[in-house]
Amino acid sequence: MSAALQNLVNQPYKHGFVTDIESDVAPKGLSEQTIRLISAKKNEPEWLLEFRLNAYRSWLKMEEPKWANVKHPRIDFQAISYYAAPKQKAKLKSMDEVDPELLRTFEKLGVPMHERAALAGVAVDVIFDSVSVATTYKHKLAEVGIIFCSISEAVQHYPELVQKYLGSVVPVGDNFYTALNSAVFTDGSFCFIPKGVKCPMDLSTYFRINTQDSGQFERTLIIAEEGASVSYLEGCTAPKFDTNQLHAAVVELIALDNADIKYSTVQNWYAGDENGVGGIYNFVTKRGLAKGVNSRISWTQVETGSAITWKYPSCVLLGENSVGEFYSVALTNHHQQADTGTKMIHIGKNTRSTIVSKGISAGHSSNSYRGLVKVTPAAAGARNYSQCDSMLIGDQCSANTFPYIQVRNNSAVVEHEASTSKIGEDQLFYFAQRGIGAEAAVSMIINGFCKDVFQQLPLEFAVEATNLLSFKLEGSIG
Amino acid sequence: MNTVRVPATIAEGYLESLLAGQPRLPASPLAWLNKLRADAVDRVGVLTVPTLRDEEWRFTDISPLTKLSFHPASEPARLHPADIERFYIEEANTRLVFVDGVYAPQLSSVAADGVVVANLGAAATDRAIAAHLGQHATFHDNVFAALNTAFLHDAALIMVPHNMTAGAPVHLLFIATQREAASYPRCLLLAESGSAVTLIEDYVALQEAAYFTNAVTEIALADNARVDHIRVQREGAQAFHIANCAVSLARASRYHSVSVALGARISRYDLNVLQTAEGTQCTVDGLALIANNQLADTHTCIDHAQPHGVSRQQHKCIVGGSAHAVFNGKIMVRPGAQRTDSSQASHNLLLSGSAHVDTKPQLEIFADDVKCTHGATVGQLDSEEVFYLRSRGLSESAARNMLTYAFGAEIIERIPVASLRHRLAQTVLQQTTIQP
Repeated sequence: MSAALQNLVNQPYKHGFVTDIESDVAPKGLSEQTIRLISAKKNEPEWLLEFRLNAYRSWLKMEEPKWANVKHPRIDFQAISYYAAPKQKAKLKSMDEVDPELLRTFEKLGVPMHERAALAGVAVDVIFDSVSVATTYKHKLAEVGIIFCSISEAVQHYPELVQKYLGSVVPVGDNFYTALNSAVFTDGSFCFIPKGVKCPMDLSTYFRINTQDSGQFERTLIIAEEGASVSYLEGCTAPKFDTNQLHAAVVELIALDNADIKYSTVQNWYAGDENGVGGIYNFVTKRGLAKGVNSRISWTQVETGSAITWKYPSCVLLGENSVGEFYSVALTNHHQQADTGTKMIHIGKNTRSTIVSKGISAGHSSNSYRGLVKVTPAAAGARNYSQCDSMLIGDQCSANTFPYIQVRNNSAVVEHEASTSKIGEDQLFYFAQRGIGAEAAVSMIINGFCKDVFQQLPLEFAVEATNLLSFKLEGSIG
Repeated sequence: MNTVRVPATIAEGYLESLLAGQPRLPASPLAWLNKLRADAVDRVGVLTVPTLRDEEWRFTDISPLTKLSFHPASEPARLHPADIERFYIEEANTRLVFVDGVYAPQLSSVAADGVVVANLGAAATDRAIAAHLGQHATFHDNVFAALNTAFLHDAALIMVPHNMTAGAPVHLLFIATQREAASYPRCLLLAESGSAVTLIEDYVALQEAAYFTNAVTEIALADNARVDHIRVQREGAQAFHIANCAVSLARASRYHSVSVALGARISRYDLNVLQTAEGTQCTVDGLALIANNQLADTHTCIDHAQPHGVSRQQHKCIVGGSAHAVFNGKIMVRPGAQRTDSSQASHNLLLSGSAHVDTKPQLEIFADDVKCTHGATVGQLDSEEVFYLRSRGLSESAARNMLTYAFGAEIIERIPVASLRHRLAQTVLQQTTIQP
């Protein structure tokens, strides 16, 4: 069976093309000068330059984290270009002015950049290398008071909001990569939902790395005021290069009283070829602050790409009765390495959190769940339930679980369970006797395994994720 | 004996001070033993005292230990059997007593039932000992095992011959009598093929001041051997207890361990079980019952290096006062260790508002045809259960004690020695009664 399954899991990456577009690329290397260049290019206010320089200075003093269960050669931070942007003439007013080459790229990727496009009802901010190229449905959202734009635009138009919240959830010096991101971030999405507004459509950002030797350092900031709610989607792809690109993003979410933020990711960066050459190093810090009472932050992620994933979307549950959720599917194949999980920090009274993590490893990959559930002394009545299941396909891969549970309050109830399984002969046999081939059977078993997570995804993403998993695992069987 | 303050920052100096008495150890007539000690001394010179920055010691701050200076135990006090009779276990007719780490023959008794039980000095000529002593509990990266090996002089040796089932448990009693003394208990158990034995490792104290116990136990099971290992740590309230135990399992051998931690201000127990051949079974159970400002840390690693291994683990902590319990249980399934069947559970009961627990059940799996599960829970007593008992006429405190006792009893009941089981059950009952 193993051989049949091995055949199933080898599929080419279909987003691996490069768009031939004239780009404005900063020279490689990182110095104060690079940062001043980025800041000047983006016409940033003085405080933001100061923010960047402070981050850079603290980054210089920091060391790369070594505790993750991943192996990679040392990253040469001076060999990366920290700014790459498709050349554009002036600021765009409408989609029709976008470079047709770019439009074609996103057409190919299935991302709707036209407001009349098929997947109407989703507002999209599109980020190409270091800059945001387009945001759809801006005006419709503005009617209800929602601000949805690229972060560079937000810096220009709403500096007081950005200044107030930027770095408030993920401090600059949080870790090595947040410091790096804070110093050199180029673009990202900014989203502000005012008091009492339920966002009428899903918001979405699509990230694309196009330039070789560049890194992508995006910064996303989402603020939901009292009683607001929003569902936000994120997708990412990159071309095939035989070198590794660095992607070090920071995402900050802030939910005030009774606010609700749902953040969904389908991560499909280029994962390298079957020998582990090339692929994205995805070192991301995502954190949500459930600041107000009854606020809720929910992370859902489907991680299928990247050579290395190092990502722990976290919830700081500060408000009373606040809720944190984490639903994750991580699929690794070939030589991919994923060290991913979540942190749930319970601070407020009666805070609740749920963790559901499904790891699937195939080929020579390594898949680790690393999670922290921390109940501080003040968090009376805190409640956590964690479940992490792993599935192994083949005997060359590994599945690891590192759950840290720290409880400082005796009224807390914390439960954790984990299991490891494989796709059994008997399961495939059962399908076969009902006339279902191995390929469809594996796809069905995996979808069943991941059901708890897929149910949390918005509809379009659930379809995409299901296809993505079966696509990653489909192939010819001999 | 005056206590010398040692700044925690100069940990190397601290280790040197611990090593101070080492050169006074009489050289052994055995060259390999002298070399083993010398190697260990060299290693101590290279290693440093672990701090919270070391992943393995993240939750256990042993800086209080490094603030005190300990000296090797001096001439042990002459104890009379009457002083220690209360520690005897009636089923065990073979008993080795070590006072502050030094063998006390006048207190020991060895039954002539075929099992070789002796102090290292008497039996060290056996070739099997050189092949095993210091080979399982390696000290290359472990400063405490290295310190113990550097001071290796007296040690309990138990050899169970081929196909022999020991009729009675072997009781090792380690008694601490001196304040500010560092003792280095050591034990080696060799169970030859087809043999079976029950070993009781028992740490007690006759005084309440601070002292330091640094123990190392090595257990090697040959094919089809069976060992029941019971470990009771009831050190004094100010004691520091750091212990390493390494177990090696050969084909189709079975190892069952129950460790109970009751005493010591700071205790740490590292248990490493290595399955070196196919078809081994191990059951590793533990209970930590602590209160006040105690810290009990248990680190276990069950290494499934070969196929068809089975492991079961259940660890429980009952934490009162402002005590702190730590559990880190690693299950490793190496490449090729197919058909491994492993389950692990960590259950923690917090009795007071300032008690806390850090637990980390950890799975590392490199084979696909395996069954591995783990679970962890942290909570307090169920109010509905308390209500149920109260509705039956029990007082609030009696109800709580009964439930707490029942939580711990699940582990105690797995001890295969009736009198010890009974005595520990009584201890748990008393302890839970005292607590608020």
